Amino acid sequence: MVLEKLSLKNKVALITGAGRGLGRAMALAMAGAGCTIAAVARTRSQLEETAAAVRQQGSSCMVIPADVTRSKEVNAMVEVAVAELGHIDILINNAGGGTQDYGKPLEEISDEMWQEGLALNLSSQFYCCRAVIPHLIAQQHGRIINIASGLGLRGGKQLFSYTCAKGAVIQLTRSLAVTYARYNIQSNCIVPGVFGEAAERFQGGKFVPMGRPGEYEEIGPLAIFLASDAAHHLNGAMLTIDGGALAGGATPTGSYPQLNESR
Amino acid sequence: MNDTVATDFSLTGKSALVVGAENPLGMIAAMTLTEAGADLVIASQQPGTGDALRELTRRLAPTGRKSVVQVQSAITRADLSASVDLTVKQLGGLDILVNALDYRSFAPADISDDNALDKIFDNTFRATWMACQEAGRIMRRRGGGVIVNVVSVLAERGVPNASLYCASQAAVLSLTRTLALEWAPDQVRVNALEFGWLESRGQRQAQFEETLRKYLPDHNLIKPEELAGALLYLVAPGARFMTGQSVVVDGGLLCHP
Repeated sequence: MVLEKLSLKNKVALITGAGRGLGRAMALAMAGAGCTIAAVARTRSQLEETAAAVRQQGSSCMVIPADVTRSKEVNAMVEVAVAELGHIDILINNAGGGTQDYGKPLEEISDEMWQEGLALNLSSQFYCCRAVIPHLIAQQHGRIINIASGLGLRGGKQLFSYTCAKGAVIQLTRSLAVTYARYNIQSNCIVPGVFGEAAERFQGGKFVPMGRPGEYEEIGPLAIFLASDAAHHLNGAMLTIDGGALAGGATPTGSYPQLNESR
Repeated sequence: MNDTVATDFSLTGKSALVVGAENPLGMIAAMTLTEAGADLVIASQQPGTGDALRELTRRLAPTGRKSVVQVQSAITRADLSASVDLTVKQLGGLDILVNALDYRSFAPADISDDNALDKIFDNTFRATWMACQEAGRIMRRRGGGVIVNVVSVLAERGVPNASLYCASQAAVLSLTRTLALEWAPDQVRVNALEFGWLESRGQRQAQFEETLRKYLPDHNLIKPEELAGALLYLVAPGARFMTGQSVVVDGGLLCHP
């Protein structure tokens, strides 16, 4: 039965950036499917809110405050999660976001700003994969779900480190997929379009073909599916969830073309 | 099954039409949809497939869902329109359309004739196009629906001696994107499900498949039933913000050099 394969009972997922937004939404949805959650973020108070909501779903949640741009903290985070929970089945690399260079012209971006963007949106995912992979290999199964962005596939005006890092996340996913499939480790990425608070930066999401931005909760079922046995043969795939934006020429500049408008 | 999964993935009360239900991909689609709670019309445009479809309804019977068989003689506008009408009439609506047209023929491009061109496009792109049009009209009028077009990953790759097949799959993938854009305002979602190398059921391909396994990242060919999860996700209420996209189930083939 296909529905039974969607259950995440007895599985453990480590989710970065789980204090709010898409990360919290994935934690809650997966908890609802029976998954134990290790919630990671910098801010403990936000993590505690996520943990309380996860426990309300009847699943347990471990809170691990960590800065995923620091590889030592990442290594420690994985060790403490494995020690406490026994194993990690699913890694969701979700931490990320705009940094200081977001929206700045190239000549105003310092070396530090550039590095900061790559650290948060790319190196963090690399560090987490590197720390978790030995555990996944040892147990001969695992799932890695990297969160990219529609801006990893298209250019953005005055968006440099973010687009580069998110594009690289897609490539990281593909190389993980090709490398670790033989250990029964599947790596895929989710490419979210405009969701939640980010809609403010993109005209409220009105250019999205579905006419609205995504709600954070709408990423939940996709995370459940990708983490579950129902997705066993997905590997190296890019799952775009964006209300149709990337299917066409829709851009955050609002110039969505309508040829021969008849309705 | 727990509550979250039930809410996001259940198809209870939904009416579905599977076009191309006589082939393994269509059969898996039919089984997946009924297991998740949908009532179905299973349609084939290939004459002589009645027995296979009636056998399929017997396998679906334990789910307790309704399944209606329709076998037609050809791929024509009238036939596909009739399948859509039958779904609405028998099941009270049309919420889900799965186009699982699986027709293949392979030959070097320089010796392929126009007949091969017509045949492959009629049985893939043209049938999908007409089924989408007929179903899309009804879904838009009723305020929503989901369409999934099943295609090969060869929609995104070239393969020697498969010029027409690759092009036909790419045509369906392209259609998927544009229909998604046109119908998004009416909450009609259109996505593709891309499958990688399927395990053949015969011995004829055994040696080729052995070579292929070595090349594939996880050394596995795909069984049609391994497409069930992705298909269910795409048609389920939980995917309501996904449209104009494809979900690739290929074990990593496409991201391999």
